Amino acid sequence: MSALLEIRDLVTAYGKIEALKGVSLEVQQGSITCLLGPNGAGKTTLMMTIAGILRPRSGSIRFAGNQFAGHPPHAIVAGGAALVPENRLVFPNMTVLDNLQAGAYQRRDGEVDVDIEKLFQRFPRLKERSNQNAGTLSGGEQQMLAVARALMSRPKLLLMDEPSLGLAPLVVEEIFRIIAQLHQDGVSIFLVEQNAHMALKVAQHFYLMEQGRVSFSGTPGALAEDEVIRRAYLGSAKV
Amino acid sequence: MDDYTIGVLTNIGLISFIALSAYLLIIAGEMSFGQQGFFGVGAYVAGVATAMYGFPLPVAAAMAMGAGAAAAFLVGLPTLRLRGLYFAMATLAAAEMFRIVFELIHFQREIDGEPVGPDGTQGFRGIRWVFENGVEPAGYLAMVWGLLFVVMILFLLVERSKLGATLRMLGEDPELARMLGVHVERFKLGVVAAAGALAALGGALYAHHNTYIEPRNFDIMLGVHALAYALIGGLGTAFGPLLGVLVDIGVLEGSRFFQGYRMIVFGGLVAVLLVFRPRGLLDEKVVHWLRARFISA
Amino acid sequence: MIFDLIQNTFDGLAMGASYALLAVGFTLIFGVLRRVNLSYGPSIMFGAYCATWVHLNFQAGLLALALVTIAGAALAGAYVERLCFAPHTQGSAIAAMVASFALWMQFEEVVTLVMPKHLYDFPPMFEGEPLAFGPLGMRVEALVMLACALAICFALHRLLYRSRFGLAVRAVIDAPVAAQLAGINVPRILGLVFLLASSIGGLAGWLIVSTHTQITPMLGMWSTLKGLLAMMIGGLGSLPGAVIGGLALGILEAHGQWFLGPQARDLIVYLLLFVLLAWRPRWMTTQSAS
Repeated sequence: MSALLEIRDLVTAYGKIEALKGVSLEVQQGSITCLLGPNGAGKTTLMMTIAGILRPRSGSIRFAGNQFAGHPPHAIVAGGAALVPENRLVFPNMTVLDNLQAGAYQRRDGEVDVDIEKLFQRFPRLKERSNQNAGTLSGGEQQMLAVARALMSRPKLLLMDEPSLGLAPLVVEEIFRIIAQLHQDGVSIFLVEQNAHMALKVAQHFYLMEQGRVSFSGTPGALAEDEVIRRAYLGSAKV
Repeated sequence: MDDYTIGVLTNIGLISFIALSAYLLIIAGEMSFGQQGFFGVGAYVAGVATAMYGFPLPVAAAMAMGAGAAAAFLVGLPTLRLRGLYFAMATLAAAEMFRIVFELIHFQREIDGEPVGPDGTQGFRGIRWVFENGVEPAGYLAMVWGLLFVVMILFLLVERSKLGATLRMLGEDPELARMLGVHVERFKLGVVAAAGALAALGGALYAHHNTYIEPRNFDIMLGVHALAYALIGGLGTAFGPLLGVLVDIGVLEGSRFFQGYRMIVFGGLVAVLLVFRPRGLLDEKVVHWLRARFISA
Repeated sequence: MIFDLIQNTFDGLAMGASYALLAVGFTLIFGVLRRVNLSYGPSIMFGAYCATWVHLNFQAGLLALALVTIAGAALAGAYVERLCFAPHTQGSAIAAMVASFALWMQFEEVVTLVMPKHLYDFPPMFEGEPLAFGPLGMRVEALVMLACALAICFALHRLLYRSRFGLAVRAVIDAPVAAQLAGINVPRILGLVFLLASSIGGLAGWLIVSTHTQITPMLGMWSTLKGLLAMMIGGLGSLPGAVIGGLALGILEAHGQWFLGPQARDLIVYLLLFVLLAWRPRWMTTQSAS
């Protein structure tokens, strides 16, 4: 395996406040990598910086050999990384179908409709609601739409920012089933998650971020063995 | 000083009042397109008071401020919940209504055999209190700047007080202010009325400087200029609006150097300035830095 | 009496069609940027003055003058967009608006420097008698204006709902961050929408001056005010609303003018706007604008 995404000493600041204070991490080709951390640790800032919405102050983001840092979001999508943002951010006043078309905005090939059909097979609920406005969907359906929209750009790397946030347990399980499926289909995934239990079932590598820095890097086994992490993220439950 | 210089300086003072009134609303989080309306109310009320009923100017100015505050209160009451463009458009609509009412008012009295008073679109001539009471141009200049000085002292006192902090919090985060127990609506209404009184005071002085006013003096151009002056000068301190007026009327018009090209120069300068300093020359950061360096040192 | 009412409504519809076009341009810009372009009217005036200059110096046909107006307005719009809006997409709305006002001052001074007379004649769109329907008359210009407004609305609707560009525009209006994440080059879309809106404004400007057959620098302020009014009456941010707002404004003005005179007409319009804003019926609150 080789590193698909390689981040070195990344610093992103809001005014004088540094939200990322020199973050370094890697996502291997074909893996699911999970980033854990408390609220305010800078996880969403990191995702938004990779996606190009925020400009880093310094550091590098290498993706498939190309430098990403400081590039605009549309260039990042063109480079092959797509973000499923926190709180989903679908286009609420556009139909499900339009949402998917928008996800394929940069594609000029003739297979967009084929891909939409494939996604409808994967997410049959979206097909039923394809002419409904996205704002009328349930939280779980919106999350699936957000994932589907990101997939429409045929990304090499799917960035997911807390896909289980605010969803019912059954829906969370479904989301993680989908993540596992996507992984089997060969998509690399970089996942931010608070739900460490679910993440442990799918991810091959973990990072822990605290106060803008990476404080732990290791396999699921190492994660489960770390006493402090176990207490903070896994509660008393046995893993 | 020659008369031209005195005239320019007086103008800077007069326009500063309406710029300050726009500034007061901006820091409280509202953008008004309508301060010219209250400026006009002040001009008409004070003009009627001195020219038609023989009140002395100080009394007339106080009446103008009262009328300005009352008019602003009435405009503010139904529009309090509005934000952003909605509030701006509501204030514009109100100010345009005032202007049209000025166009419709024909209210004159015979004084020394001549009709005096507002005459619709023909305007309102003969507001001569200043001349009749032997106030020299330099004396009037001193009056205008003296009042402006008092207003500035008030602003600076307020900005350093708890009231000023509340005002800025209201501008930045009204929800936070509400949670901290500020009566947001009541407070805003007070700010709107105060800004109306301030603009009206400027209008009263303006009417007596020019001796002649007409409804189109108080159209949207004046209001948007006031807004622009406040923003160019900077939103960090009450000196900002003054600086804005000074740059436009003082440097560009006063210097006569850019004759015929003043607006091209001014417009370009403002647009470019705002690219680099979207909250004006004396913005919060600069003011903070200046304070730290020169006042507490 | 009944004929007056019908005739006024006719005249109002024609005027309203030009307001509707102005409001559509305004709304496009407001929709994607959430910003007010005060220089929208002055850009149109600049375009119309370009056409007037061409008319005075060359032999140019109607179509050429219309194209010059549109091109001039689009050029001015691009200048405004680059200097006032592109740098402020993240920042404060008020800075963008004041900057656009500053450029308004530039446009006014530029046109008065080059063409110092207060009033210039503009070649009429149509020379001839109004069409008569019994006791009612309808100016041909008015019909052209209505037809143009309808055609533009139809074309815009097609563009927004049937094209890749339209998909991107709708995405930017709906959720700008999500649009960026979907790979849409948002700044480019904003610039293009600005050009499109200014061009529509230019067309409206040509229709207006060639109906009035004269032009003054006041056209700038007039267009900005009427466009803003129609947009606000129509509910801010929706294109059908802008059209309805424009037509309603035109009809209201025509009746007000006929029955009460020009000052009362304007008073009624502003009173209506004020009451609508203070009362805020449901159709005015569809889009937030802070």
